[in-house]
Amino acid sequence: MKISLKTLKYYVDINVPVEELCDKMVMAGFEVESIEKEGENLINVVVAKIVDIKPHEDSDHLQICQMDIGKNGLVQIVTGAQNIKVGDLVPAALNDSYLPNGMHIVSGKLRGVPSNGMLCSGEELCLTEADYDGASVNGILILKDTHPVGTDIREVLGLDDYIIDFKITANRPDCNCYLGVAKEIGVVLGTEFKAPVPTYKTVGGDINDYISIDIKNYDLCPRYIGRIVKNLRIKESPEWMQKSLIASGMRPINNIVDITNFVMLETGQPLHAFNYNDLNGKQIIVRNANEGEKITTLDGKEYDLTPDMLVIADGEKPSCLAGIMGGKESEIENDTKDLFLESAKFRRDNVRHTGRALGIRTEASGRFEKGTDIKNAEYASERALQLISGLDAGDIIDGVIDCNKGLPEDRIITVTTDKIMELIGVDVPDDKIVEILNRLGLNTTINGKEITCRVPSIRDDIEGRADLAEEVMRIYGYDHIIGTPMRGTVVRGKLLPERIKTNKIKKLLNASGAFEIATYSFIGSKAIDTLKLTEDDARRKQIKIINPLGDEYSTLRTQLTTSMLTVLATNINKKIKNGRFFEISKRFVPKALPLTEQPDELPTMSIGIYGESEDFFTLKGIIEAVCKLMGAHTQYEKSDEPYLHPGRQALIKANNKNIGVFGEVHPTVASQYGIEQRVYVAEIKLDVLLGIEKRKSTYKPLPKFPAVERDFAMLVDKEIPVGNLERAISSGASRLCEKIELFDVYEGAQIPEGKKSVAYSVWLRSANHTLTDKEIDEANTKIIKKLESVGAELRK
Amino acid sequence: MKEQISAILLEAKEQVADSQNEGEIEAIRVKYLGKKGELTAILKQMGSLAPDERPKMGALVNEAKSELECLIADKKTELKSAEQLKKLAEETIDITMPAKELKVGKLHPLNTVLDDMIDIFQSMGFDVVDGPEVETDHYNFECLNVPADHPARDMQDTFYLADNLLLRTQTSAAQIRTMETRKPPIRVICPGRVFRADEVDATHSPVFHQIEGLVVDKGITMCDLKGVLEQFAHEIYGSDTKVKFRPSFFPFTEPSVEVDVTCSECGGKGCRVCKGSGWIEILGAGMVHPNVLRSCGIDPEEYSGFAFGIGLDRLTTTRYKISDIRLLFENDKRFLDQF
Repeated sequence: MKISLKTLKYYVDINVPVEELCDKMVMAGFEVESIEKEGENLINVVVAKIVDIKPHEDSDHLQICQMDIGKNGLVQIVTGAQNIKVGDLVPAALNDSYLPNGMHIVSGKLRGVPSNGMLCSGEELCLTEADYDGASVNGILILKDTHPVGTDIREVLGLDDYIIDFKITANRPDCNCYLGVAKEIGVVLGTEFKAPVPTYKTVGGDINDYISIDIKNYDLCPRYIGRIVKNLRIKESPEWMQKSLIASGMRPINNIVDITNFVMLETGQPLHAFNYNDLNGKQIIVRNANEGEKITTLDGKEYDLTPDMLVIADGEKPSCLAGIMGGKESEIENDTKDLFLESAKFRRDNVRHTGRALGIRTEASGRFEKGTDIKNAEYASERALQLISGLDAGDIIDGVIDCNKGLPEDRIITVTTDKIMELIGVDVPDDKIVEILNRLGLNTTINGKEITCRVPSIRDDIEGRADLAEEVMRIYGYDHIIGTPMRGTVVRGKLLPERIKTNKIKKLLNASGAFEIATYSFIGSKAIDTLKLTEDDARRKQIKIINPLGDEYSTLRTQLTTSMLTVLATNINKKIKNGRFFEISKRFVPKALPLTEQPDELPTMSIGIYGESEDFFTLKGIIEAVCKLMGAHTQYEKSDEPYLHPGRQALIKANNKNIGVFGEVHPTVASQYGIEQRVYVAEIKLDVLLGIEKRKSTYKPLPKFPAVERDFAMLVDKEIPVGNLERAISSGASRLCEKIELFDVYEGAQIPEGKKSVAYSVWLRSANHTLTDKEIDEANTKIIKKLESVGAELRK
Repeated sequence: MKEQISAILLEAKEQVADSQNEGEIEAIRVKYLGKKGELTAILKQMGSLAPDERPKMGALVNEAKSELECLIADKKTELKSAEQLKKLAEETIDITMPAKELKVGKLHPLNTVLDDMIDIFQSMGFDVVDGPEVETDHYNFECLNVPADHPARDMQDTFYLADNLLLRTQTSAAQIRTMETRKPPIRVICPGRVFRADEVDATHSPVFHQIEGLVVDKGITMCDLKGVLEQFAHEIYGSDTKVKFRPSFFPFTEPSVEVDVTCSECGGKGCRVCKGSGWIEILGAGMVHPNVLRSCGIDPEEYSGFAFGIGLDRLTTTRYKISDIRLLFENDKRFLDQF
């Protein structure tokens, strides 16, 4: 809420500089967004008197003026304006001056004649008629009064106000107005707070002869107060009121509209002024809109209404969107004769829903949404009448129609001071507590240790001792709180087992050269299509965000691969030659679509690698290391992921459980990301991998007896996977097998068409004796037999 | 004969001294000490001596032989070490040549900072728990004292997935789940991802991270809250960092405070980083609202507690002076390698 310091001083004494005021308010819970000094950008412009005017020899419109600027003597300024004469007092921007529009004025020459500044128009000083009479004249601003020459123009214009923008928290809607803020300042500074006491003259008559009010929905409109003002005398509102409105970002219109707006800024209660003569049937009906009803609002826009929206209707049709905006038809215009003045309370969620549905938000609706005080409605109405009367804007008819189903009682809170302060841990003297609460208007009495507060409805945020504790402390000062170290049993906090395991995996991946990445949990709605998954693939069952920021961020991901491909593409595009990346995040798997309950959020890991030294097998090595770290034994099977190279991908099985796939990305998938080189990705279901129980390590004695190494070279059909050969060797060597190492695979010259040459080293060892020749020969024979049984032809 | 021995020895000594390599020295050894060597030859002449002269002369020859053997051995050692020196000198490398790179990756900066925080709070006895990112309205708002028509809902633009389901806007939702499943004393932090409909720019991201802290026990006060946050601030920003409470509003705490620490850049004197104030806002905190305790079945008359929420992304960008939050999610390797 933007507030003028000058206006504020009307309600409360402020005895400290503006910066100090703001610092103190911050410490009382009112954050200051900005402090703006009026005329801050108007520098070195002074009152100057024209003592001589001569025409410019090289111009038909320029004039050369000699200006008296006081103690600094005479200054020559060239101007193009024609509305000046000798003896006029005008604003002169001197050499090195600044105007509010950002212009910087320096000495120069105009068609060869030196000019040491500029004479200013009202427009150039960003003034309106409200600021200074004649400001809108086309030409130089002629100053009315006699000001001493050389006076700073800001003094002449009264630009000495500060506009403070207070950020009002959601629990304090009562402070979205001058009176609310002023009251707090009074408490903070310990100075007097002065709320206007409304008094006004009436001209007799009876409101009931003019209007009837019928509330059809007290739930949405718990209070509605109406007044009638006759014989309006519409004109401009006074300068002080216009300035207050402008300071808070509102536009002055006429005295009646300005009074309703000013009272809203002053009291926080929005008012609405109807043209009484436009109300059909001389009645006000507060009701829900009928299906198909329309309204044209003050801004000239037409809206279709629905029955959940509350309207203020006359005998025929909606005349105002309750709490949001008035209708065009009953607008106050310059020839409006009579006024119906509304001050009401509307339920905040209804105002919010209607405003959202129609896309309208006004100063009034903002206040109703945050919550207005039902009792304050009456004060605001009275205050408006006081201003109407005081400014002679119309004749007030006697009588008020106040529709309500009873007003709330003050909330009574009874609690001991100890109970309040035990939440804080600071000793505040009882009398200090009572004093603070009373100054905040919480009508507090004390009896022994027990205090009783009568909390008025305007502070319905105060519900119990925790709220009282906050009220006391924000005034007493949070600086009184002294930190105490953690108390209680000494324990070290525990981590979840998943986090411990994940941390280990991350360390391993880091050591392998992989960088951890972080990407958004939502992806584009079309991103999944890049993976060419079949129509019935479960990963296509994705959760959509109802109100996304854009299609790009619209869908919760069921896989991490598309995000990984984006990151690989980013790095490749930046000409980074190689990279290893991983991400550990969640995939969101709905139990049903449309979503009816929370989805499964499953921990998932993706790995992506690329670069000259990377291939399928480097990725396989990383995966195997991770699985081994988790105590899992890995096996691989052929897989058929559409987004992977059909001949270079595998399903990963850890302890016989499917934990994911990896492989080279299919070139047509990669190229959708702008990737034109081989990249490799893995996507691993961490939920499954982390669920594998790792066996406890126990020490096995180191070998005491020598190992025997034997090499086996063979020819096999090209298609036979070496995994088959390895299994054959392993089963042939049986218990003696210590290690099997593939050391050569060769196709080409000297190898028959359709065959490949494969060579293994095999280490045989017994734990309890040196192997005999016989044992070794037997093992050899068995290995060869097994190899032959899978189609290998041993080379001699 | 005695003179002959001296002459041979003298000549041999000169030759040993002059020898340049192992080959020469071996030749010298053969020439004097070999089976047909000159000193050996002298021994063979012993027969011509008088019997009583023989032992004396024999001793002389043996003395000369062993002296020469020693000299030769020394010379050999000397030559060997000279040779090694020469070889080592030849093997000198350019130590400024690049290393054979050991490629090591790094944690994402957000997680590097998070791990530090977990360490700090774990050491103060906080368990680290987890909560779902897709939350119900009930846990994200209702239980946190934000009923449907509450204006505080406007403070957070929420991504909705269904009528009653949303992406959590705050890790505070995990508070509730913790209080429902654990009995006081409770001391937990819940780090996690949160979501708000903020348009992406240099300081806003629709995806960001918080660390929620919660302590519930008998007799917990705001002084305890300040103590814990002071310890945290000292670990993160340095031991002379001061902590300041500023009143604020959160629906789920009462009293609520914003917490400022002295600017680590200028030490509180005022600079560009803290916009001249000397303080930097780091987190929001407060005493758990009685309504929140009540909604979790904890009696607010018996127990009290505090909660705080730290923005991990802000903490990370300020620690590393990262000017644009979008860099955290772009994942350029050169960026990730800096932290």
